[in-house]
Amino acid sequence: MAPASLLVLVFLALPMLLMLRYSFNSFVPGKFMVEAFTADNYVTLATDPYYRHVLGLTLTVSISVTILTLIVGWPVAQFLARTQSRHKGLLLLAVVLPLFAGNAVRAAGWMVAFSRQGLINGLLGALGLIDAPLDIMFTPTAVIIGIVSVNLSYVVLTLSSVIEGIDRRAEEAALSLGATPFETWRLVTLPLALPGLLAAGVLSFILSMNAYATPVLLGGPSFQMMAPVVADQVLQRANWPFGASLGFVLILITLLLTAGANWLVGHKYGR
Amino acid sequence: MAASITRRRFVQGMGAGATLAGLGPALVGKAQAAGGPVVVGTWGGDYQNLMDQYIAQPIMAPIGYQIVFDSGLDTARKTKLLAEHPLPRGSMDVVALTHSGSYEMWKNDTLAELDLKKMPNFSHVIDKLRTPYSVPHIYTGRVILYNPKFVKDKPTSYADLWNPAYAGKVGVIDIQYQTTIESAAMISGGTMSNYEPGKAKLLELKKAGVKIYPTNEAMASALKTEEVWMCIMWKARGVMWQNAGIPIEMANPKEGIVLYVSDQVMAKNARNKDGAYAWLNGLLEPSAQVQFARGMGYNPTVNNVDIPADLKARIDFPADVTYINQDQDYLAKNDGALKDWWDKEFKA
Repeated sequence: MAPASLLVLVFLALPMLLMLRYSFNSFVPGKFMVEAFTADNYVTLATDPYYRHVLGLTLTVSISVTILTLIVGWPVAQFLARTQSRHKGLLLLAVVLPLFAGNAVRAAGWMVAFSRQGLINGLLGALGLIDAPLDIMFTPTAVIIGIVSVNLSYVVLTLSSVIEGIDRRAEEAALSLGATPFETWRLVTLPLALPGLLAAGVLSFILSMNAYATPVLLGGPSFQMMAPVVADQVLQRANWPFGASLGFVLILITLLLTAGANWLVGHKYGR
Repeated sequence: MAASITRRRFVQGMGAGATLAGLGPALVGKAQAAGGPVVVGTWGGDYQNLMDQYIAQPIMAPIGYQIVFDSGLDTARKTKLLAEHPLPRGSMDVVALTHSGSYEMWKNDTLAELDLKKMPNFSHVIDKLRTPYSVPHIYTGRVILYNPKFVKDKPTSYADLWNPAYAGKVGVIDIQYQTTIESAAMISGGTMSNYEPGKAKLLELKKAGVKIYPTNEAMASALKTEEVWMCIMWKARGVMWQNAGIPIEMANPKEGIVLYVSDQVMAKNARNKDGAYAWLNGLLEPSAQVQFARGMGYNPTVNNVDIPADLKARIDFPADVTYINQDQDYLAKNDGALKDWWDKEFKA
């Protein structure tokens, strides 16, 4: 067996199997984990409206973030891919630069901007657009903006490398045959970039489904997404069995939706 | 002059070497018994810094102990104690926990019963804080913090947080769910062993527009910007916030002062038990205790400390207050359910 596969087996697959086993244990308050083989944790997850709400919110945020990052990221990626500027390297560095700071640090930056005495309220107030400061912190908007800003670098880099690989002559041929620029984009560029679009979308979706620091810091105590709820079960309540089952459901749903999107796009466009 | 060794001297030398070699392990063993590393699992920040500055360096180092701090969340330490329970030797010698946490770990058989003879300072520990398994390190009590600019009448009861005049200007802290439900229970017919009546009372506060902050620090910031005017908090933290220039005063609720105690305990499978006892004894040294009062606003847990009168006036409670201990057994059994209610009903 190749050493890399062995590493994956030892450090990823086996711990995951152990966690899977834990998810069938039971939790007795004050007693940590009690050896058992019960599906109670999964039943609670499926039947408790609270966890369904958490899952629903996580999916809504992740899908919104994915769509937004693709819409905002595409023009930037296309510009980066097509530019002849000799500063292209610098522009690429500007896209990568936010990745140098961790998610929590970036969220802290947004906290400064979003607070009642923050940059945005200050600007809006100075321009006379608002009388009283807006509550931006601890809202879904704050979380979505925060996660979009985190994911945008990944999406732009993925899309620009795919767009760069598209032969410009295909677009030029469409234009010369009378297609408008929008038709050229819709009928030529977009289908050719579809694999990249799918990859960028999947990347953004997975990152959003597992977002932790941004929802905790910008969403506040009442905004519950899956990853913070898993962390709460494991770190705060020491309820490893339920935390493990939540984690597995999160992985499973992310995998299913990703595979589903892959199949749908492939099926529709005959890939 | 060339060195010369006679056969007799060589044999004598070998004999001495052999003797030393034979004694070696015994000497090393002796040295370890009287010193060596002691791993203390604790909260980081100011608490750890003060322990390092006033206990690890001046008290433990001179008697040969090196203190290794393992800092993090107390929930992680509890999990570690439980997970390492079957092992003959654990990764921590001493563990800092809340009073509830130490009770829970004691009930799970992960802590050593303390031999008081090995901690001479324990004889000075205040009676109300004693247990057979923990050394109470610092304590404070729960009070009401308010901004006197907006709250003109000094609060006298937790019920004052429900005053309609302050609707929307009261804050609660997410991680303080347990004490918040408990405070509500204390004014709505609940007891220390039954927080249930507090739930309906808290929902009234929610209806009145209570603000929920994720952490103590977020609450401090909201008090500073006058976004909220009142909250429930430990007195020691109130003192620290006053020191930081946050415009608050403190009021003792007539329902009583519920105690908060930071304990330190010895893991049953501690590697360096002598070191752990030395550390636990060091925690109670008057010279160290006074520094925690000065640096963090906590009261000493021993009765042989002289606290300057001006500091005592700020951190201590009047003689006529009633102190209340939490029902640790109730909390150990119900904490998860309380958190569930908080997350699913109160915060939803």
